[in-house]
Amino acid sequence: MAKRKPKTNERAAAKPMSELSPADRKTLTALTGLGERVIACAERSRPPHLDIPSRTLSNVRFNQSKRILEMGSGTNRRELFNLSQAKAYMQTLLVGTGAKRLIEQGKTTSLRGLYYMLKHTIEGTKEETFDEQGESDSMIEDAEVLLNALREELHLYAQKRGEMVGPITVIDSGDEIDCTRMGSGGYGIPSIVEPDRIQFRNCKATFILHVEKDTVWQRFNEDKFWRKHNCILTHGAGQPPRGVRRMLYRLNAELGLPIYCVLDNDPWGYYIYSVIKQGSINLAYESKRMAIPSVRFLGLRSIDFERCRLTPSVQIRLNDQDRKRAKQIAGYPWFANKRPWQKEIDLMLKNGFKLEVESLISKDISYVTEEYVPTRLAESDFLD
Amino acid sequence: MAAKQREISVSEFFTKNKHLLGFDNPRKALLTTVKEAVDNSLDACEEAGIVPEIWVKLTQVKPNHFRVSVQDNGPGIVKNQIPLIFGKLLYGSKFHRLRMSRGQQGIGISAAGMNGWMTTGAPVKIISKIGANKPAHYFEIQINTQLNRPEIKNGKGEGVDIPAGPKGLEYLASQGIEWVATYEARDGVPERDVKSGTRVTIELAAKYQRGRGSVDEYIELTAIANPHVTLHFEDPDGNPRTYARSTRHLPPEPKEIKPHPYGVELGTLVTMFERTKAPTLGQFFVTSFSRVSSAVARRICERAGVGIRMSPKNVPSEKANGLYQAIQETRIKAPTTDCIAPIGEDLLLKGLRHVLPGEFYCAATRPPAVYRGNPFLIEVGLTYGGGGSVEKVSLDVLRELLSQTDARTLRQFLINTFDGLGPDAADRILAEAEAGTRVAPGKLKPKDIERLFESMRNISVGDGQVMQVLRYANRVPLQFKQRDCAITDSVIQTNWRAYGLSQSRGALPAGPVSVMVHIASVWVPFTSESKEAIASYPEIQKELRLALQAVGRKLGMYLRRRKRVQQEGERRSIFLRYLGEVASAVGEINGVDADGLYGQLLKVAKRKTAEADMKLDERGKAIADEHSAFGDNVIIVEQDAKTMFGERATAAPSGNSPRSATAG
Ligand SMILES: Nc1ncnc2c1ncn2[C@@H]1O[C@H](COP(=O)(O)OP(=O)(O)OP(=O)(O)O)[C@@H](O)[C@H]1O
Ligand SMILES: [Mg+2]
Repeated sequence: MAKRKPKTNERAAAKPMSELSPADRKTLTALTGLGERVIACAERSRPPHLDIPSRTLSNVRFNQSKRILEMGSGTNRRELFNLSQAKAYMQTLLVGTGAKRLIEQGKTTSLRGLYYMLKHTIEGTKEETFDEQGESDSMIEDAEVLLNALREELHLYAQKRGEMVGPITVIDSGDEIDCTRMGSGGYGIPSIVEPDRIQFRNCKATFILHVEKDTVWQRFNEDKFWRKHNCILTHGAGQPPRGVRRMLYRLNAELGLPIYCVLDNDPWGYYIYSVIKQGSINLAYESKRMAIPSVRFLGLRSIDFERCRLTPSVQIRLNDQDRKRAKQIAGYPWFANKRPWQKEIDLMLKNGFKLEVESLISKDISYVTEEYVPTRLAESDFLD
Repeated sequence: MAAKQREISVSEFFTKNKHLLGFDNPRKALLTTVKEAVDNSLDACEEAGIVPEIWVKLTQVKPNHFRVSVQDNGPGIVKNQIPLIFGKLLYGSKFHRLRMSRGQQGIGISAAGMNGWMTTGAPVKIISKIGANKPAHYFEIQINTQLNRPEIKNGKGEGVDIPAGPKGLEYLASQGIEWVATYEARDGVPERDVKSGTRVTIELAAKYQRGRGSVDEYIELTAIANPHVTLHFEDPDGNPRTYARSTRHLPPEPKEIKPHPYGVELGTLVTMFERTKAPTLGQFFVTSFSRVSSAVARRICERAGVGIRMSPKNVPSEKANGLYQAIQETRIKAPTTDCIAPIGEDLLLKGLRHVLPGEFYCAATRPPAVYRGNPFLIEVGLTYGGGGSVEKVSLDVLRELLSQTDARTLRQFLINTFDGLGPDAADRILAEAEAGTRVAPGKLKPKDIERLFESMRNISVGDGQVMQVLRYANRVPLQFKQRDCAITDSVIQTNWRAYGLSQSRGALPAGPVSVMVHIASVWVPFTSESKEAIASYPEIQKELRLALQAVGRKLGMYLRRRKRVQQEGERRSIFLRYLGEVASAVGEINGVDADGLYGQLLKVAKRKTAEADMKLDERGKAIADEHSAFGDNVIIVEQDAKTMFGERATAAPSGNSPRSATAG
C-alpha cells in the first residue's frame, strides 16, 4: 500500500476542527461523507461507486426566470470495479486527500501544485497516479460538484489573470489597496475573492467597464478613462478566469454597479460576453455565484466598420470555424429570441470579416477612449 | 497380387518393389526394419492376450552398417514356423483374412531380413521361446532368393535348441546371443522372468538420423497410440529410453470377418472363384462373404442371369463381370462393425498426456462406418499448449543433429528436423542467434552452435508453430507422405479459425497444437503398398471431418475459456493496482485502518472478476461447473497464474494480503 504518503498525525500543523472556518468545516464534512460511502460499500461487500453530477451540455439548462445557466440533476456513475473508470475513481479520491490536507494546514495551492502533490508512482507498477495536469484538473471539477464545494473551498486557486483600477479601495487579506493609486499597472485580481478574504471600501465608481484584453485595458488606463468617467476598469486577459468573474459579480451584486463590456467583434468576443452574462457550460454549477444577467454589450458591433468609417485593411476574414461558432452562439437559448443579437450576428456573417477593438486605433490612438465608448455610453447604445 | 508374384523370383520382386516396401534409402530402411519387427511383436502379443513389452536396440557395427534388435514378450513362434516366417516372402497369417491388425501382407519381416542380407550379407537371427519351461530356438536364416525358401545357417541347417533355465542363459552368454531374460523391477513390482517371446536381429546398410521420419519419432508415436505397451529404446549412442505403459488394458480382441461383397474387386472375385471349395455359386456366396443369405445369393445370380447351381470354377469371364455388376446393384446389408477396435477416447487421452506435454487434451472416437464394404472407424486426439520438439532437444543432441543432417541451410535444418517448427519461428531463431539463414549446418563453430542452442530456448516457437499432425492406421504411425494423405487433407479443410486457431487458406493451422488421427479398419485403404498415406474415400473423409470438428469444438471452448480467464486476470490486476491507493486515500480522509479496508475491497474485486469468468458457457448459458461443460474426454492441466498472465499479475501492489491474480 502507498505507505510513502505521510499519515495524518505525522503531518505538521494540522489545525483542530474547532479552529477551522465554517466553510472549511462544511467541506471537511462533505469529504468524510465521501469516504464513509466507500467504507460502507466495502463492509457490505458491495462494489463502491460515485454518482458525479454531470458536467456535460445535456445536463445544463437555461433558467429563463433567473436568466442564468444551471446544472441539471443528471449524474454519471463512476465505479471502482469498471475497467474504464477504475483509475478515475482512484484519482477522485486522491483529490479528496489533497483537499483535506490543504484545509487542515490552512494553505492553498494552484491546480498545478495539487497535481504535483498527488502525483506519484502507484506502488508495484510503473504507472503514475496522474500522467498530466489535465487529468487532475478535471478530477478537481468533479470533486467540486461531487462535494458541492467550490474550488476555492477546496483551497485551490487557478492561475491569476486580470486587473482592475478605479475609485475603490479593496481590502485583500487585511491589506488596504487604493485602486486609484496603481501607477501604470492595476490591481491583479486574485483567483480567490471570497468575502472572508476580500472586502470593498470607499467605492465612488458608478459603473464598470470591462474590456477583453490587457492591451486595450492599458489604452484606457493611460488615458485615465476611469477618472474622467468615474468607473472601475477591468480586464480578464481573454476569457475571464473565475476570480475576475466572481469579482465582477460581487461588485455588481454588492455595490449595484452596472457593467459594460468592450469586446472584439468576433464569435470569441460574443462567447466571452455569454459566459460573463449567463455562465459557462462547464462550470454551470457556479453560475449562481458568477453569472451577471444584467451585464451589457457595448461593442464592438458589426455595424462599426461602416459607422466608424474604418478602412478595409483592418478587416480579418471569417474562417469556417468562426462561421460555425457564430451560428452556434446565435442558437443559444439566451440569444435565440433577442432580435438585436440575431441581427448583430447575422451582420457579422454577412460582412464576412471580424474586427478587433484595436482596429479603432487606425482612426486615432485614443479614438476608442475619447470617441467610441463615450458616445455609446451617452447614447445608451448597448446590446442586452 | 499374391498369386502372380509367387511365380517371379523373389529377389527380382524385392528389387522392383524396394520403394514400396520402404527400403529405398538407408535412413528409411532402418526405420522400416524396426517398424516391421515392432508391428509384428505388437500383433503377436495382442493376439495372444499378452500385455506387450518391447525392447528395441540399435547398434552401429561399422559406418553405415547397423544392427537392429527387437524383442518382445509375445507368445513366441513354434520351431518349424520360424524359418518360413523369416525366410520366405509372402508367408504370413494375416493376408487371407479380414481382421484389424498392423501387418497385412506377409511381406514385412522377411523383406526386412532380405534387405539386410542383400546389403550386408549377414543372416537374420531369431531366438524365440514359447513358454517358461520350454526351450528357446535359435536360428540364423538367409532367404534363397531363387526358390523363395529359407536356408538355415546354424546348427547344421537345423537351428539350435537352448534349454530353459540358467543353463540356457549361460549358453546364450557364451555365444554372445542377446536375450532380455527378466523385466526390470518397476513401481514396486520386483524383477520377473520373461516367460516367452521372440527376438529378431537384422543387420543392414543404414543411416541413423534423428528428427522427422526417424526411428526415435516412430517409437514416440507408437507409445502415444499404444498406451498399453511398454517400449524400451536404446539408440546407437547407448542412450536408453523407456516409454512406460499407462494402462494394462489390452485393446479388445478384434473379430475376424469375411469380406463384404461390396469391397471385392473383379480380379479378386475371379481368384476366389478359382480357389473356392464350394460346389455351387449359391454356396460360394453364402460361405465366402458376410451378410449374404441364400436369398441374397439368389438375387445376385438372377440379376446376372447365371444359374445359382453353377460351379464357381465354371463361371465364364463375361459372366464373372455380370456377377460383379449384379453385386453392386443388389441391396446387401452393411457389414457388422464389431470387428473394429478403437483405441478409445480414454486411452487416447492417456497416451497423449503421457508423451506430449500440454495444457489441454481432448479426444473423440467416431462410431464405426463403412467404405466399399469395409468397416472402419476414425478417432482423433488433440493436445494444446505443448512446447514442441525444439524445447526438448539438448545441446549434445543438437550438435549431433547438425552433424548428421542432409539439409543444405540452417533454416532448412530447423524446419526439417523439428516438428511443428514453421519458417517464421526458424527465422526468429536464426535472427536471435545472429546466424545467417544460408549457413551450412555442418560449418557452424562450437560457439555458434551454443548460440543457436540458446536462441532455440529463448524464442517462443509457439506463434510460428504449425499444427503437428500425427497419423495412424491400425495404431501404426504413418511418418511419410503427409501431403498426399486424406488425413492431412481433412485437417487442412477443417476451419480451425472457428475454434480459435489462426490458419491461412490451404494450410495447416498455426499454434502449439498437435492432433493425432487414427483410422482403424479391417482393410486400411492405403494409397500404395508402402502403407504411408490414406486414400480419400468420401465416407472416410466425412468421418474424418466429423471427428476433427468434435475435438475442434472442445478446443474452441477451451481457448475461449482460457482467453476469458486471461482477460479476467488482467481485469483483476488492473483493479488490484488501484485498490491500494483507494484504501489509503479513504484511510487518510476518514482516519480508518487502510489495510483492513484494502482486505475488504480485495474480496469484492475477487468476487467481481470470479463471477465474470465463471458465468457463461459457449452458448452464453450460465453453468455451474466449468469442467462439466466440456463433457468427458477432456483433460485440462491447470496453469499457474503467472504463466497465463505473464508479467501483469505480479504488477499488482504487494503487501501482506495475497495480491497476485489467480486463474479461475
Ligand atoms: N514377433 C513375432 N511373434 C509371433 N509371431 C510372429 C512374429 N513376427 C511375425 N510373426 C508371424 O509371422 C507372420 C509373418 O510376418 P510378416 O511381417 O512377414 O507378415 P505380416 O505381419 O503378416 O504382414 P506385413 O507384410 O503387413 O507385415 C505373421 O503373420 C505372424 O503370424
Ligand atoms: Mg508384419
